[in-house]
Parts: sequence; structure tokens; C-alpha cells
Amino acid sequence: MTDGRSNQAAAQLVLARADALRGNLADDFRDDLVEATYDEAQAIAERAVRQVRAPRWNLDLAVDRLVTSRIFGLPLMLVLLAAVFWLTVAGANYPSALLMKVLFAVEAWGSALFESWSIPWWITGFIWHGVFRAVAWVVGVMLPPMAIFFPCFTILEDLGYLPRVAFNMDWLFRKAGAHGKQSLTMSMGFGCNAAGIIACRVIDSPRERLIAILTNNFVPCNGRFPTLILLASIFVAARFSPGLASFAAAGTVVGVVLIGVFFTLIVSAALSRTVLKGEASAFTLELPPYRRPDILRVLYTSLIDRTVFVLARAVAVAAPAGAVIWILGNVTADGVPLARHVADFFDPLGRTIGLDGVILLAYVIAIPANEIVVPTMLMVYMGGKIMTEDVTGTSLESLLVDDNGWTMLTAVNLMLFSLLHNPCATTILTMWKETRSYRWTALGALLPLVIAFAVTFTVAEFARLFGAG
Amino acid sequence: MLAPVAQLGSTLVTLAIVIASALALVFGGRVARWWGGMREAGRRVLAEDALKHIHNAGLRGNPATPDSLAGALGLSPHRTVNLIARLEAGGWLKSSAEGLSLTSEGSQWAVQVIRAHRLWERYLVDEARMPLERVHAEAERREHHRTADAVDALEASLGFPRIDPHGDPIPTARGELAELRALAITEWPEKTPGRIVHLEDEPPAIFARIAAARLVPGQTLVVEESTPERLVISVEGRTLVLPPIAGANVFVTPVEAPERRALPTPLTTLGVGQSAKVRGLDESLRGYTRRRLLDLGLTPGAVIKAEMAGIFADPVAYRVRGSLIALRREQARHVLIDPVAHGKASDG
Repeated sequence: MTDGRSNQAAAQLVLARADALRGNLADDFRDDLVEATYDEAQAIAERAVRQVRAPRWNLDLAVDRLVTSRIFGLPLMLVLLAAVFWLTVAGANYPSALLMKVLFAVEAWGSALFESWSIPWWITGFIWHGVFRAVAWVVGVMLPPMAIFFPCFTILEDLGYLPRVAFNMDWLFRKAGAHGKQSLTMSMGFGCNAAGIIACRVIDSPRERLIAILTNNFVPCNGRFPTLILLASIFVAARFSPGLASFAAAGTVVGVVLIGVFFTLIVSAALSRTVLKGEASAFTLELPPYRRPDILRVLYTSLIDRTVFVLARAVAVAAPAGAVIWILGNVTADGVPLARHVADFFDPLGRTIGLDGVILLAYVIAIPANEIVVPTMLMVYMGGKIMTEDVTGTSLESLLVDDNGWTMLTAVNLMLFSLLHNPCATTILTMWKETRSYRWTALGALLPLVIAFAVTFTVAEFARLFGAG
Repeated sequence: MLAPVAQLGSTLVTLAIVIASALALVFGGRVARWWGGMREAGRRVLAEDALKHIHNAGLRGNPATPDSLAGALGLSPHRTVNLIARLEAGGWLKSSAEGLSLTSEGSQWAVQVIRAHRLWERYLVDEARMPLERVHAEAERREHHRTADAVDALEASLGFPRIDPHGDPIPTARGELAELRALAITEWPEKTPGRIVHLEDEPPAIFARIAAARLVPGQTLVVEESTPERLVISVEGRTLVLPPIAGANVFVTPVEAPERRALPTPLTTLGVGQSAKVRGLDESLRGYTRRRLLDLGLTPGAVIKAEMAGIFADPVAYRVRGSLIALRREQARHVLIDPVAHGKASDG
């Protein structure tokens, strides 16, 4: 005890002495410290390291000149990004379908088992057709693309190529008061916004990092792409000749992504000039030498750190959503499922922004995970009891257009709403974990929602003004 | 048309009620506390602004009055009287016929607010890189919202700065103004030029002697002879004799030796492919950016080479001590290098 007390007294003395001595320090003594360290290091290096004659041709430098050149820099970047996307979409198609088939087979098997044990139908439905089905849907849609996208990205990162992308793109972000590395966190956001927000750690300047976190939601993630692609192919591609249809659909999706980039830059600029103007800021960007990627490490970081991590959170939030969907679809009041009642309640609000009540209901339920928006919507439209993408008896287009009054305006506004609306629960949670601030998290969640309503409302009003919709 | 609008209105109202009651259920207590906190914070801001006004008026030599206080804070006479009564009851100030003056507790509080203000100005200039003319207003808002511990933490994170960006000293945690790092000319070596930075104005009789010698801050002087009996100094071509007791109240700092080398130029003048020696970072670059650039090896004497320019010539990638770093133009401006001979592109 006495020992502890005397130690404490000694510590107080040392602190007091430090306080007294601080006044004698020159203002730039930190500069002197760093300079002395570097001078010492240089002296040691000169004694101990022998410089071999520099090679006439430096591969690193040659590659650097190519990937950052005015002519090839940007096209090369776009080609690589497109290649990663193509690999993800093409490669995930088959495993995704297979995985869903297996998981739904498990659902059928599980519910049959429960029935054979004569467990009441509502327990079976709640567990298997509600909770399990939602989790299966999210895993099926999410897992394969992420398992391809993230390793590809990690390889580019490990190679040393990504810092060069940040270098190339910095001019665009500088004007928005942001950091060139935001182009990397945005690209990561295409895989998953939560992973994109975690990736913002690479930005070491606090203000630019917050900007990147708060605007990451404006790039559509994996969970939102299927909705965009579906709408583009039904409403846009169908108006073109078969030869051009797939180009029209792809062009539409690219257009939506560009609108997202536009909003990212506008909102970044607005944030850095208003609420974030007092946050600390500094730009530094190191361009490390190129390296051969370490495959094991790539697999580990991309699969464990990113894929499994994101998936685990998504499953944790999808399960309760599944429970809610099942209750809404199966509990009836006045002979009509609850879902219909809630949708009718939201309908006037939905119509005002060019959508309808069912779509808004789907978005409210899908706050945990955007993957289940379309299945939930179709469930309510068809008066079904479980989420589905199998449209029985009619085509998807006639279900939407003929039975539920969708127009081109509905499709356009749904694409815009999907792009701009509030981030999913996983992303909001990640924002909180990364910023540890309720204030920034609330801003990151609500700002996109307000923007989404404002934009869709404006588009709807203009469309009505010109007689469309 | 009317029916859908009415319907929309009722939907929105219902939604608002549902959300509000849900929030009230979950956060009710917190909201009440937050509201109470806001009121409390408003009173604190008012009190601190009042103390600061009275403190500054006292420093200028004409004490604050209730009228000047009402004018400075934009308050009605009635609210001003209430505020003065509240502060007087709290033991922070005294009002008398001459005007308002602070008690010692009151001045301590005022000095702490000034300390927070000047530290925030330092932060906003150094770390948030805000233009100097805008920091005062922002610091004015921020000075009220921190506990003493948080202000101490801010001071430590800034590396215990002594002066704010305007050159005013920052009070320490104990309310003392930092010691000026200057020497009295009684301690100054003979024949060495020094610049006057501070004249002690207490006690008045001695200050009168200094003023009579026409010494003002900013002048450069040389001590020709220094003995316990008298000081002989030359300043601006005049030679004068001062008693040491007056000399002890004149403070000088060293004058930088005139630069003999060619003047440095900013790094932005370095063309791609050229290299130069780093002279240093300019004084206006402070805070995180300065530390970062130093850590990256941009210290005096380091050789820096512009390797490649970005798509719109900004940023530029520089090779320093074997590693490649990209700097924006706005930062490269603050890195000073030895002048580069034009047209000479050395590949080193």
C-alpha cells in the first residue's frame, strides 16, 4: 500500500517536472526530433548498405507511368473494374441458383419433418417459411457474389494497383472536398456498403474518412443490383429490339450507378463545406511498390475478414425480418393479410412519390437487408404467404403492369429510390461501430432517406406535369 | 384530387404520431434530459460570454457597465439585470458605481473560456486547416461546450501550443499565461542583436523610464556594455544608457541570421523528372499535415524527385528516401526546396 502511494507521489513529481520543463522547449522541437532520427538512420544506412548500380530500366516505374498515364490510365481502370464486375455476375449466377435450390430444399424438408411430428402449422410456418426462408434468401443472393468480388478486389489491393486508382481519381474527389481513396471505398461498396464503410479506415484524415463513410450508401450494393437489373430488363430492355435489349439494360444500370456517383460527389462537397468543416483534415497518399499477391493471405482477408463478417451480420438481421414478413403475410384481419392493410396505409404516401404502398412496405421490412425487397413485394402482390420470385400463372411484367398499375414512372422511381434510400441495418450498425457517434450515424441513415424522397417526389411531379405516369 | 391529398395528409399525421410515440417510449427520459441540458447549456453560454466581456473591458482599462454588457450580448435591459443578479449571487462578479468587475473566481472562469477559445483557434487552423479569418466565429461557438478535462486533452493533442494563431498567448490549465520565451536585456550577451518582443508595463514608474527611452516592440537593439551599474545599448542609430532595473523589463529574442543561401522555392516549381534538396516545411503548415510530411521523410537535406504527375497535373508523385508519395499542389506549396536550375532534368 505505502509502496503504491510513494510511487504515485513520485509520478506526480515527474509530471510536475515535465510541466515545468515544457516551457523551455523550442516550438519546433518535434521537427528537430524527426530530423535527428532521419539523419541518424541515413548515417547508418550509408555505413552499412552498399548501393548496387541502379538498373537502367525500372519495371515498377514503367508500370506506374502506364497505369497513371493520361491516355491509358482511366480506360485501364474502367476495363479492370468492368472485368471484376463481369467475373462476379457471371461467376455467381450458377452457384447462387444452386445454393438457393439446396437451401429451399432444406426448407421443404424441414417443414415436412415438422408436419410429420404434427407440430402446429403456425410454428412450422414461422420457423421454416418465415425465419429460415429469409436467411436462406439473403445467403443465397449474397454469398456467391461476395465470395468472388472480395478476393478479386483484395488481389488488386495486394498488387499495389488500388493506390494508383486513388492517385488517378484524386482530381475528381479533391473538388468535392474528399480524398482520392474514396474511389476505393466506393468500389468496395459495390460489393457491400458495410464492407465499404469498414474499408474507409484506409483514409487517415478524419474529415475525409467521415465523408466517405456517410456517402458510401450512394453506390448500389450487391443486394440492390438484382432489383436494378430486374427493372432495367422488364421496363427498358423490353422497348428495344432483341439485339439491343441487353445493351439497353446494361446501359440503364450503368446510368443508375453514374447517378449514384453524382450524388456521392454532390453530398461530399456539401458535407465538407457545412457540418464537417471543423473536422481535422490532411491529404497523404503513399504509392507502395508493386508486390506479388500472397494468395493465402488474400483468401483469408477477403473470406474471413470481409465475406464471413458481412454475412454473419446480414443473417443476424435477416432472421427477425423473416419473422415479421411471415406474420404480415399469414395473420389476417377481416379476411385480408396484415401486409395488405399496412400496404394500403402506406399507399397515399407511395403514390405521391410515384411508387405505391406495397413498395414502401417492402422497403420498411427490408431495412435489415435489401435482398428481400423484390421477394416481399411479389408476395404481397400475389396475396401469397411466403416470399417468392416464382410468378405463377402469368408473367412478371403483366403482374406488375396489368394487375398492379406499374408504369415507366414507377420503374424509374423505384430504381432511384433503391439507389438513394436509407442504408440497411447492417450498414447503419457498421457506421456506428466505425464512428462511435450517434450523431454521424443518424446523419448517415437519415440524409439518404430525405434525398430519396425529395428526388422521387420531384421526378413524379415533373412526370405528371408532362402527362406521363 | 382532394381525396388523395386528404388521405396523404392523414397518412403522414398517423405516421408522425406512431414514430413520435415510439421514440417517446424508448427515449423519453433521455429527451427530457437532453432538453434540460440544452437550457442549462444556453445559460452557461450567456454567463461565459458576460464574464468574457467584463474581463476584456477590464483589460482595456474601462470597466464594463450593464449597458455595455447588454450591447455586447444583444440582451434586453430586463434580461441583462437578471443575468447580472444571477452572476453576482453566484459570486462571479461585483457591481459598483464604476461598473462591473470580476471576483477572482469570475476572472478564473473567464480565463478558462479564453483558454478554450484560443486552443480551438489553434486546432481549427492547424488540424482542420480552416482559413484564419473564419476560425474566430467557429471557436466562439465551440469554447462553451467542453469540460475542463476535455480542454486539457485538446491542449495535449495539439502539443501544448503557447500562442494562438493571432499571436495571443494561451493561458495554461492553472490560468497562468505562458512565460514569454525571451530574455531581459540584463541577461542578454553583449554585441548580439536582439529584437524587442515585450515591454513589461508594471510597475508604472519603471515603464515610464522605458517609454522615455523611446523603446517599442519590434526594434532591433545591441547591448554594447552590460554591468551591474548600467546598460549601454544602441538602437536605431542611437546610443542610450539605461539603469539595469529598467533593462530587466525589456525582453528580446534572437534575430535570425540573414539567409546567405539563395531563397528557397516551393516544391511546385519542380518539373517531372527533376530532383532537388528539401530545405524544410514552411511555418504556416502545421498540425497533422506537418507531422505526416516529416514522418514521410521530408526533412531538410532529403533529396526529392518528381516522378509523375496525375491526370490533371495534380497530385504529383514524388520519390523521397526510396518511397513514392503523392502530394496535392496545395501541400507541395508548403514544402521548400533549393532552387532548381531551369531546363536541367537530372535522372538520379
